[in-house]
Amino acid sequence: MSANCNTTNLRGVKAKRLIKQIYVYVILAIVVAVLSMLKGDLFQRGNFLFPPNIANLLRMSAPILMISSAFTLIFITGNMDLSVGSILSLTTVVNAILLLNGFSFLAAMVIVLSLGVVLGFINGFLVMKLRITPVIATLITMNAYQGLARYLVPPGISSITNTDTLTMPEWMGNFSKGQVFLGLSWAFIVAIALLIGLVILQRRTVFGKYLVAAGGNRTAAELSGINVVKVVWGVYILLGAVSALAGVARASYLLIGEPYTGTGAETEAIIACLLGGTVFSGGEGSVVKSFVGALIIVCLTFGLKSVIPEYWQMLAKGAVLVFAVVLNHLLSKETAVA
Amino acid sequence: MESNVLEIKGLVKDYPGVRAVNEVSFEIKRNVVHCLVGENGAGKSTLIKILTGACERTCGEITLNGTDYCARNPKEAREKGISTLFQELNVVDQLTVEENLTLGIEDTICGFLRKTDKIKKIIAVLKDLEPSINPKERVSRLSVAKKQIIEIAKAVAAETDIIIMDEPTAALSESEINRLFTIIKRLREKGVTVIYISHRLDEIFTLGDYVTVMRDGKHVATKPIAEVKDRSELVQMMIGKTVIESYTPKEKPAEELLLELKDVCNHKLRNVSLRVNRGEIVGFYGLIGAGKTELARAIYGADDYSGEIRLNGEKLGKSPEKTIRAGIALVPEERRTQGLFTLLTIKQNISAMNLKRISKLGMINAMQERNTAKDYIARLNIKTDSMDKETSKLSGGNQQKVVFSKCLFANADLLILDEPTRGIDVGAKAEIYAMVRGLVEQGKTILFFSSELPEILNSCDRIFLLYEGEIKAELQNGIDINSQDIIHIVTGGTAS
Amino acid sequence: MSKQIEGKNLPLAGKISNESYLNRVMFLVLIALFGIASLTIGNYFSTATALNLIANNWYIVILGVGVTFLLVSGHLDMSVGGIVAMAGVLSAYFCQPANEGFSELGQGLGMPYGVAIGLTLVCCLVIGALNALFIAKMRVASIIVTLGTMSIARGVGQVAALGAQRSAGMPDIFGVIGNVPLFGPIKIAAAIAAILVIVALYIEKNTTFGRRTYLIGANREAARLSGIKVERHIALLYLLSSLLAGITGILLASEMKAGISTRGTGFEFSALVVTLLGGASIDGGVGSVLGMVIGAMILGVVSSAAYSMLLRPEWQFILKATVTFLAIIAQRYLLDRRSR
Repeated sequence: MSANCNTTNLRGVKAKRLIKQIYVYVILAIVVAVLSMLKGDLFQRGNFLFPPNIANLLRMSAPILMISSAFTLIFITGNMDLSVGSILSLTTVVNAILLLNGFSFLAAMVIVLSLGVVLGFINGFLVMKLRITPVIATLITMNAYQGLARYLVPPGISSITNTDTLTMPEWMGNFSKGQVFLGLSWAFIVAIALLIGLVILQRRTVFGKYLVAAGGNRTAAELSGINVVKVVWGVYILLGAVSALAGVARASYLLIGEPYTGTGAETEAIIACLLGGTVFSGGEGSVVKSFVGALIIVCLTFGLKSVIPEYWQMLAKGAVLVFAVVLNHLLSKETAVA
Repeated sequence: MESNVLEIKGLVKDYPGVRAVNEVSFEIKRNVVHCLVGENGAGKSTLIKILTGACERTCGEITLNGTDYCARNPKEAREKGISTLFQELNVVDQLTVEENLTLGIEDTICGFLRKTDKIKKIIAVLKDLEPSINPKERVSRLSVAKKQIIEIAKAVAAETDIIIMDEPTAALSESEINRLFTIIKRLREKGVTVIYISHRLDEIFTLGDYVTVMRDGKHVATKPIAEVKDRSELVQMMIGKTVIESYTPKEKPAEELLLELKDVCNHKLRNVSLRVNRGEIVGFYGLIGAGKTELARAIYGADDYSGEIRLNGEKLGKSPEKTIRAGIALVPEERRTQGLFTLLTIKQNISAMNLKRISKLGMINAMQERNTAKDYIARLNIKTDSMDKETSKLSGGNQQKVVFSKCLFANADLLILDEPTRGIDVGAKAEIYAMVRGLVEQGKTILFFSSELPEILNSCDRIFLLYEGEIKAELQNGIDINSQDIIHIVTGGTAS
Repeated sequence: MSKQIEGKNLPLAGKISNESYLNRVMFLVLIALFGIASLTIGNYFSTATALNLIANNWYIVILGVGVTFLLVSGHLDMSVGGIVAMAGVLSAYFCQPANEGFSELGQGLGMPYGVAIGLTLVCCLVIGALNALFIAKMRVASIIVTLGTMSIARGVGQVAALGAQRSAGMPDIFGVIGNVPLFGPIKIAAAIAAILVIVALYIEKNTTFGRRTYLIGANREAARLSGIKVERHIALLYLLSSLLAGITGILLASEMKAGISTRGTGFEFSALVVTLLGGASIDGGVGSVLGMVIGAMILGVVSSAAYSMLLRPEWQFILKATVTFLAIIAQRYLLDRRSR
């Protein structure tokens, strides 16, 4: 018989599958454990796990949690969206402008979300209708949106903030900084709700199923009658809307409209999804695990802040990305066939 | 209800320069397994493409269940009642069995998936065909055989009239094939007609109720299997009279050993051992899936293998870069995706395999490159007005000549040709045959891989017959070659 | 159906390659834009403007050489901006003397300038090697890897400059090479860029190395089957790109007499923009350094026109994006029409 017949190591395969399922949680646990041992007594003031500290961390991280969860969907379809950070910047600025000019929280949010939908629509148009490679298309929109964000801030000042005649409403920070329950903010609760919503979308809706089909085997999907163009376009719109929601949260947290606030968000989202086991080629991805991946990033960013100087952040981020890439690569070697 | 599920009348398909389907007429009865056989180039694939909507007929009528049938794409074909199982499986690996079965036909309420009776019905169909498949299992974990069954179940549940299966057993084990046959027989009871295409004649006899033979684009015969005497009759119909041009055996027999393979194995090849002498043209004949391309690529070092290959006594390296240096060149099977740089010009393609020869210390000698291109364009009669034309703009025959030029320029002693005349017009084919003969006169050695028997018989000194990755027979040309025996062997029969 | 663009309906006999065709079209676009700017903006048409074009864009051209070669082979490099920053800071850090009594930012390693530059370039090559390892060998998507290495490179720069810049107590030689004047506002860096471009043009068209780059980009598998060592070649391209980025960073730092950790932001996108403007295809196999230079000039004209019109600096983002978008669509349309 053929000398090349190798018996598939079934136990090894099962073990690998298990590792793939849980490694993101393990990494989170390790990160949290290490951070909690760096400084101070456990759970006491000064320690990473000091409850008010954790609450602060979660309040701050709502935007990135939202974006990372939704980012998974675009990866699942086998595409990319590098403009999420710029949408975050732009919508933060617009939200700040609206609030400064007397709009109510709800009205401003509706307008900003609509803006997010439009921006996502443009992304989808470039990628699916004009068929420009996603990377290039979203690099283009990333720059356009970022420029717009800075443009909306009058020259001479660095961000949208109180002027001589207008002031930010005093309730502005309530969404992201007001403590509702166990120190958590509304924004964080919304991020959790969004996560739940995306999970339901992923697992229980036709749209979620079609995402996997579009990314896993586009031919088979189209043969089954699925309009792949519409499906992927929809994801870009959704991602735009979520990034806009993150902008509302960010504006509320910063209390100003800082136009460069979203820089690097796309990299963080990518890291989160990679840590969560999402695959570039499409068809795979879990919203929950990307969320956990985002938590890992947030813990590292926040937790290391008091230990290492600010200027180590960028290097750390790059190292984590490379680490996530390697990990993802090693674990994505196909688990064999029964 | 009509007893004929499908009627084809006067079907014609013309491509520029060739008539692929020539006034084909026959009928397919309901609830049978109707087999379709013929050699490569017989027209089967084109016929199937028309039925599945992948291409358009030139003229002719097709009637399905008594009504006119016309499909512009596979999706429409499926809706009208003809499903096809291609060799590239159309399942989404990342979804479960259940999700695949309901892909595109889900029941929803406000976008949410609902489990209704429809789903239960489809799963029942699947369970009926193959109870061991767990609907909740991810498809990526299933074997190719089971993925096929899922596709079949989907088609049955959609109540298609006809399921076309194109070489379905190519990737299956024996037990899986038996299971597939059981399922196919059951399909008849469910009111489905199966059009079964295969080169494995034994399968035809085991499975088929009817058989249609095509040859050279024409319909030869449609008969109940019961009326077909034996394999030979079928083979005779498939090949008709194979006209062998006068093959002139060599005056001086080639005796110096050039290439030796010992127990070469990989995912497709099984213990291939053979020897090739300098100056020979050695043919490798077999049908699709026999392992020809895999063997060609293994020798060339493009794919990995275990076992030994020696050239001039030296072990051959396992990368194209090394084998090229050792003096081997490959004309690949897929010209456009593997052999040619379609974005680049003729001139740039020709020099690609041996840049060293037109350069010194890394600097390209433009004049030399131009002269080389001019030389080959003339020698091989490549029809173009300029050597700076992008190769994407050339015809198939001229493209192949560019690939040949590229390999010739690499100064190889041993040339491996994998389906060198596929998709090429008759005129260019003749030129290539002449070129091959000329090369051998210059002292080159040729390995000629092909699925067209006539060209193998016309050109090669020795012929290896392949089936399922194994060498089944070795024949000396010129000595009482019997085409029937050959077909017999390459379709799975045993050598007498 | 025929879209008559003034002066741009060149004979479409198919006699010149697509590349030359696009180069000529983009050159005409450049002239047209320069003309429009001259007509609508006062004082635009002057030697000062032309000289400034060169003086302000030489660095994108150097980066563009590396990016063009990579794009022709079918790959991206988004790490160049980060390498520019890293090289600037490291070149400062390595040669900054250990000044007594200065703060941490004033204390460097005090190496001789030549050694400092050499070591800096080695560090840049390390980044390039990382790219090569993940992209050429492990075949991970180049966009993701180079985003990571960009962060690493910039991160190294930030650490070495403590988030700010190194400019205190620099030796005199540090500011020499970036400031040697050539002609008006043009400094020697532009000449270096010009030399690199000429060398690159030669390599691109007349060497086996250049040819292999096109072959790999046109059809990676066919290139492998033709005996090309594809992985090694791609690795070399990434090393080359990082080296060029390092040179750029060193020159810029010398010009400013400071190693600034925030330098180079957006450079990777600008380099990509000018390469695409020059007619390079995103999928590889098509593109040229000559086109990239024309693209750099176009971008330069657009930027300087915006500046002269007193548009706010953030217009740069929007302009770059719009110009790239228009170029991609227009080039696709022109080539489509040409091949019918």
